[in-house]
Amino acid sequence: MADTSKLYDAILNGDSKTAVGVTKEALAENIDPMELVNKGMIPAMDEVGRRFECEEYFVPELLLAARAMKGSLELIRPLLAERGTEPAGRVVIGTVKGDLHDIGKNLVASMLEGGGFEVVDLGTDVSPEKFVEMAKEKNANIVCLSALLTVTMPSMKTTIDALQQAGMRQKVKVLVGGAPVTQQYANEIGADGYSENANSAVQLARRLVA
Amino acid sequence: MTSKELVRAALNHKEPARLPLDFGGTSVTGIHVTCVAALRDYYGLEKRPVKVHEPYQMLGWLDEDLKAAMGIDVDGVFSQGTMFGFPLGDWRMWRTEQGLEVLVPGGFLTTKDADGNILIYPEGDTSAPPSGRMPKGGYFFDSIIRQDPIDEEKLNPEDNLEEFGLVTDATLAHFAAEVRRVSGSGRGVIASFGGTAFGDIALVPGPGLKHPKGIRDVAEWYMATVSRKDYVHQVFSKQCEIAIRNLEKIQAAVGDSVDAAFVCGTDFGTQTSTFCSAKAFRDLYLPYYKKVNDWVHAHTDWKTFKHSCGAVERFIPLFIEAGFDILNPVQCSAAGMDPNHLKQEYGDRITFWGGGIDTQRVLPFGTPDQVREQVLERCRTFSPGGGFVFNAIHNVQARTPVENIVAMINAVNEFNG
Repeated sequence: MADTSKLYDAILNGDSKTAVGVTKEALAENIDPMELVNKGMIPAMDEVGRRFECEEYFVPELLLAARAMKGSLELIRPLLAERGTEPAGRVVIGTVKGDLHDIGKNLVASMLEGGGFEVVDLGTDVSPEKFVEMAKEKNANIVCLSALLTVTMPSMKTTIDALQQAGMRQKVKVLVGGAPVTQQYANEIGADGYSENANSAVQLARRLVA
Repeated sequence: MTSKELVRAALNHKEPARLPLDFGGTSVTGIHVTCVAALRDYYGLEKRPVKVHEPYQMLGWLDEDLKAAMGIDVDGVFSQGTMFGFPLGDWRMWRTEQGLEVLVPGGFLTTKDADGNILIYPEGDTSAPPSGRMPKGGYFFDSIIRQDPIDEEKLNPEDNLEEFGLVTDATLAHFAAEVRRVSGSGRGVIASFGGTAFGDIALVPGPGLKHPKGIRDVAEWYMATVSRKDYVHQVFSKQCEIAIRNLEKIQAAVGDSVDAAFVCGTDFGTQTSTFCSAKAFRDLYLPYYKKVNDWVHAHTDWKTFKHSCGAVERFIPLFIEAGFDILNPVQCSAAGMDPNHLKQEYGDRITFWGGGIDTQRVLPFGTPDQVREQVLERCRTFSPGGGFVFNAIHNVQARTPVENIVAMINAVNEFNG
C-alpha cells in the first residue's frame, strides 16, 4: 500500500528513483493525485525550503530534492490537467536578456513548482518581448526575472517597461532576484517583490496571489 | 620600498609604507577589455588595441604604460593555455559586439548562431561542438554545457581528470620565462599555475575540452558532491596527486621570485550563504587544499591565494586551517562579510586581497564621490598592520564608467598620501 509519507521522505532525501517509484505505485493504486501533491510533494518542498532557510540544506540538497519532486510531478501533472485542477498560480520565469546564468532561476522555478504553482520556464537570455508574449499566452499571475550580471540588471527594468506598454502590468506581479539585485533596486525599477533565495520566493509568490 | 617589498610586507602582515595595488595580476582581479581601453584613453596613452588575455571573461591585458599610469604593484604570471584550451599568442584583430577593436589569440575562432549569439570553440577547433557562448550584444562568454547521459555504472573519475595532466617541458619553460620576464619589473609576482582548484565550477564544464566526459553539467556536479561523494573524492585525490607532482617541477623551474600562488578559485559562497555546510567543506575539500598548501609552504616562500565569492565568513577559519594565506575577493556586500568584523576577527591570520570597492553596485552604478568614499573607508579598515592588497571585489565589469575606475585609483593614491 503506497502512502504519501514515502513520497514526502523520498523528496526530502533527494531520492529521485524512490520518488518516481512510490508515485507510480500510488497512482496504480488509484490514490488521488491531489493527495500526493498536497500531502506529499508540497509539504516536502516546504520542509526542504525550511531546512534551506536554517542552513541544514544547501544548494546541492535543494537540487536533489527538486529533481526528485520533478520526477514525481511529471507523472502526476497529466492527471491534474485532465481534471482541470487549478494551480496555486501561473508563473512565467526566465533569466533576462543578455544573461546566461540559470542555477538560481532553476531553483526558484523548482521551488515554485513544488509549492503548487504552474511554472513556465523560458530559460536564459529571454527578451522583454518573449516575457510579454508568454505571460499573455499562459495567462500568468506572476513574472519572475533573474539576473546575475551587473550589465544585465537593466534588462529587468526594460522587461517591466515592456509589460507596461503591452497593458499587462496590472495583470501580473513581477518578482526579481539574483546576486546583484536588492530590495532597493526592485523598488527603483517598480517590481512588486524581491527575494534573496528560492524559499522566500515561494512565500512571496503565495502572498502576492492570495 | 619597491612594489615587491610593499607586496611582501603586506603578505607578511607588516604595515607597508603604502598600500600595494593589484589589477590584472590574476583572472579574478582584472579589468574587462572595454574598460582597459577606456583607461588607456583616459590616461592619454598610445592608441593601440588591447589584448584579451582571458577570453572567458574578456579581461584586457594591462601593458607597462598603463600599469605605470595606474600605479600597479603586482605582475601576474599566467599559463599558456586559456579557458577555451587555445594558447595565448598569434594575436589578431577582433571587433567586440560594441564595435571596439581588440586583439585576440589566434585560436579565438567564433561563429554566430541563428539568434546572433557568438559561439567559441575548444582549442580553436570549429569542427568540434562550441564550448562557449556570448549572448548577442553581450560582454562575456559562458560555458555551453555538454553533458552526455550519465550511466552510474560506467562513471569513471578519470573522465573528470582529462584537463588535469602532468605539465610538459614546454609549459615549464613558459613559466620560467614568464617569471624571468616579470622579475625585472620590481613588482610583486602572483602566479596562476593551474591544476590546484578542486571542484571549481567554472572549470567543471570543461570549456577547453573538445569532447568532455564524466560529470560536466553544473547542477549535476553540485548534486554529485552530496550523492556521489566517493566519485568526487576519487577525482580530487588523483587531481591532488598530479598537482603536487606538477608543483615540484614548476617550483624547480621558477624558483622563489614568485610571491603568491593562485591556488584555488572554487566559489563556496552565494550572496547570502555558502554552497555547502562547513562539515561538507571539511570532509570533501579541506584535506586536498591542505595537502597542496602544506607542500607549497614546505618547499617555497609563496603565499597561497584563495578566491571565493560570496558569504564565506564562516569558512574563513577553515580556509586558514587548510593553509590559505590570502583571501580574495572579500565580497563585503555578501551576508556576514562586514569589513570591520573580517579585519578584527581574521586580519592577523589571512591577507585580504580585494574588498576595496563593491563591483555590484558602487563601482558600476555609483558616483565618483561615492566610489572615493567607499575606497577610503575600506583602506582605513583593512590597512592597519598590513594584510591587505588593494583590489576591487572581483574583476571590474564591463560598462563600469571610466570616471569611477579613475576615482577608485585616485582614492587609493589619496589614502597613500
